[in-house]
Amino acid sequence: MTALATKPRAGRKKLTGEREPRLLSVFKASPATYAVLLIVSAIFFVPFILMVSISLASDQTSAQNAFTVIPTEFEWRNFTEVFTATGLPVGRFVLNSVLIATLSAVGQVLSSSLVGYAFARLRAPGKGVMFMIVLATMMIPAQITMIPQFLLFKELGWVNTYLPLIIPNFFTNAFNVFLVRQFVSRISGELDEAAQMDGLGYFGIYRRIILPMMWPILTAIAIFTLTHAWGDFMGPLIYLNSEESMPLALGLQYMTGTSNEMQLPPWNLVMVGSIILTLPMIAIYYLGQKYLYEMNLQGGSAGVK
Amino acid sequence: MSKTIDEAPGAVRSARRAGRRRMSSRSKKEAFYFWLFISPWLIGFVGFLLGPMIASVYISFTEWDSFTPPEWVGLDNYVKALTGDPVFWKALGNTFYYALISVPLGLVIGVWLANLLNKRVRGRKLFRTFIYLPTLVPLVATAMVFKMVLAPSGPLNELLGWFGIEGPNWLLDPTWVKPALIVLSAWGAGGATVLLLSAMNGIPRELYEAAEIDGASAWRQFWSVTFPQITPVIFFNLIMGLIGSFQIFSQVYILTAGGPDNASQMMVPLLFREAFSFYHFGYASAVAWLLFIVIMAFTLIAFRTSRSWVFYEQEVR
Amino acid sequence: MENKIRRRTLVQAAATAGVAVPVLAACGGGDDDGNGPLKMVVWGGDLDKETYQARIDLFEKANPDVKIELQLIPSDQYEQKVQTMIAGGDGPDIMQVAEGVNTYSSKSQILPLDDYAKDAGLDLEERFGAVGTLYSYEDKVYAIPDRSGAMIVYYNKDLFDAAGVEYPTAEWTQEDAQAAMEKLTISGTQWGYGGAGWWPQWWSFAYQNGGQIIDDSGQPTANSPEVVKALQWANDLAHKDHVVPTAAEYADMGPDMGGDPAFAAQKVAINTTGFWAIGGLLEVDFNWDIAPLWRGADQAVSAFGSGLAISRDCKNPERAFKAIEFLTSADAQEVIIDKAQDVPANLEVQQSDAFLTPSWATKPLNMAAFGESADFIFRAPFIPQWNEMQAAFDDNLGTFWNEGGDAQTELDKIQTQLESIITD
Repeated sequence: MTALATKPRAGRKKLTGEREPRLLSVFKASPATYAVLLIVSAIFFVPFILMVSISLASDQTSAQNAFTVIPTEFEWRNFTEVFTATGLPVGRFVLNSVLIATLSAVGQVLSSSLVGYAFARLRAPGKGVMFMIVLATMMIPAQITMIPQFLLFKELGWVNTYLPLIIPNFFTNAFNVFLVRQFVSRISGELDEAAQMDGLGYFGIYRRIILPMMWPILTAIAIFTLTHAWGDFMGPLIYLNSEESMPLALGLQYMTGTSNEMQLPPWNLVMVGSIILTLPMIAIYYLGQKYLYEMNLQGGSAGVK
Repeated sequence: MSKTIDEAPGAVRSARRAGRRRMSSRSKKEAFYFWLFISPWLIGFVGFLLGPMIASVYISFTEWDSFTPPEWVGLDNYVKALTGDPVFWKALGNTFYYALISVPLGLVIGVWLANLLNKRVRGRKLFRTFIYLPTLVPLVATAMVFKMVLAPSGPLNELLGWFGIEGPNWLLDPTWVKPALIVLSAWGAGGATVLLLSAMNGIPRELYEAAEIDGASAWRQFWSVTFPQITPVIFFNLIMGLIGSFQIFSQVYILTAGGPDNASQMMVPLLFREAFSFYHFGYASAVAWLLFIVIMAFTLIAFRTSRSWVFYEQEVR
Repeated sequence: MENKIRRRTLVQAAATAGVAVPVLAACGGGDDDGNGPLKMVVWGGDLDKETYQARIDLFEKANPDVKIELQLIPSDQYEQKVQTMIAGGDGPDIMQVAEGVNTYSSKSQILPLDDYAKDAGLDLEERFGAVGTLYSYEDKVYAIPDRSGAMIVYYNKDLFDAAGVEYPTAEWTQEDAQAAMEKLTISGTQWGYGGAGWWPQWWSFAYQNGGQIIDDSGQPTANSPEVVKALQWANDLAHKDHVVPTAAEYADMGPDMGGDPAFAAQKVAINTTGFWAIGGLLEVDFNWDIAPLWRGADQAVSAFGSGLAISRDCKNPERAFKAIEFLTSADAQEVIIDKAQDVPANLEVQQSDAFLTPSWATKPLNMAAFGESADFIFRAPFIPQWNEMQAAFDDNLGTFWNEGGDAQTELDKIQTQLESIITD
């Protein structure tokens, strides 16, 4: 068993380790590659710079659309105003967001890994039909089940609690099941078979063979779920009533519904809110990409080794 | 369709099948575990989705304002959508336009960027973050920034002006409002690079070494090694992209509200408006199920064609 | 930052967004015996919340046995949230309503209030004047007016003086107005008028011409010559006479730009809008004032406002009505003006010194313009299919407003649609 687990790791060292042999021509980055990446990054980055620029502009400047792409004004107090001027418990919002997003991610990771594994590996009559249903559920516009779903959660007495936002994540969703299933089906079956010979049961195979190799996809799912739950305002809007229970994304939505003395929404503060909303996600992504990309080398190479 | 699905993931199975066929007690055990393991999804599906879905099928055969009891009208809502509502066809056409351009475009941009980022580029963590960034910015902010970028004398048109192109009024122009939404979707195409890159990372080095010995150019190596290896992920992105783009909602809702003159009206914003602004829940549900059929059809087509271009690792070997 | 958060009405948000499409939402725990706190929902921003809360505090002080839980919902999402609450059988006790009132009343989702008013000895006519029965459906009153004010003309005195134009009065004709706008326009940098693309604006002109959108028998008359003329005029001001910024010119000024912010930025010299613009303009460094709207063949102007209604889910309507009665009384309504939130519907307050010379006014303001306008407010057709009617206009007039066009053609299409919407 332990031998099985270490085998792919050895393979990774060979590929990425310090003793990496020689850069293959496909991986060589030419000056043209850099040029293209710089231009593309700039295009992708400019709107974000604009956000930063607006967030640092004064009320007048932002209302008159007079700011520049590269900030010339630095109204840092906007970053404190956003907590005070709006009269909303922004600190509470952040805590609520963290709570909802974290529990959602835990739920998705636990449930999608198990369900996805079953769809990828286990055989059973009716599996094809079940998977069809999984796919089909993705095609139903969420908007249409909104009211019936609301009525259901209301019957359960879940309205004005976090339960409707968190609990469904413990029952996974079609997207993540599909994701895990695709991922696991790329992993060679040899490992499971060997483990089965060793007398490991299905849960053992899941727990000890497949789950450790699923890290890249589970990290991806965790990041996707975090990002989604973090930015979602529709769910909280439907199910939460009291200000103290609202997450940041909904608070931000409240902010855009108001307007300042220039008869416009306080765009500079909205942008500050957006930045506060975005930065943790950027940080998670930046730190998480190690797992998103590098770890797959392990899983992927394990598949062919 | 179910046959195709059975084959794709279960490639492993082909190796095992021969020895297993008669071991029915083991099969039963395996089936038991299958159902046990998928039970979280199954319970969630039955509990949280099936009920609401059945309700929505029923509602689609009624006239219901969400307040007073629904009134059975049979197929009237479907007939009205297909024959009596010009906005339905316009929205369907717009949604096709949007989906059929933005999905392939997103895939091409995604694969292209992933291929660049897969090279040993200095600062690639940073580049990847930049390219993924648009996916992380809340839509409220994105929408506001895009209204500025797409303004008639905004940065985009200024840029086009440098090349002597007179830019259109984008969001205000019925001809250009859909391309504007496609531009927005292309800006978010970096999101697809995550899965593509992780797939590219998993491609065994030996394949490239062999190709290099054969003297294949980088371009050739991309098509003969990289591309076939990442087709499962491309396929996945294709399916998700189709489903997502047919259900485009927030961008339309925040940026254009379907205007001008319904030129950017799409299926989900349309049914949303019918349900929550006009209180026609029956009609909205019928539109939702028609949309479901359209998406289903496209997904089926994608699965049918997938056999000729999607390769799973075990099949390659 | 002195962040004066102002009200954006449902209609205002709708005007910016095109259509009020939005988001769904819900409600809190129910009270069972009818003695729990009353749940009251309103839309708007911080100032609205503060003002309603201050009024509720007054009520609770006078009635210690009754509590009101106030819930503020962003304007764009208000209708959907309330819809979900009611659909879930958990409607609020007291809800704010406006143009959409008859969506609810026609489906019996809110209660007729005539009997409660009679029992409470409340004379609507006496307290609110002509708007007392504004929120009626089939001769029954479904909401008590709470906030109410005519659309008024805001004008930039500095720009008027610089161009040598007389200040506007209620006696101006549409031609006088246009002549002034032309003098106040400096090509490419300044426009005479903020535009009339929003229904309260160009419908006012239609009613001034003697037209109606829906006639007294309930039939649409959207393509009558009077309405066509008004719409064409409103559009030509931008695309033919260039005294109003076009949609493209507005888009270049910034996202969500329109007459209100453009007036505050001195880009337009005249703007027609509601009371809410006053609060923000107190801080600007130019001279401005308000006046009643000009006239056509007739005098006519639209009004903004909202009322308070009781939902069918309310367990104890008597108590809820008692609260509404108090909230619309002179004492509670004075808070509306103290906070510079809006025009109180209560006539006594509207005619009080507190309103005519408000404490927060930094310079003399012609607050009497509201009272003067009250005499010629037209009654907009609050049909149950209000949202669909608005969508019919928006769906057909998008390109027309953006690029100019022929009003007759568009209104003929709209008329056909309205006919099918109303008979449905």
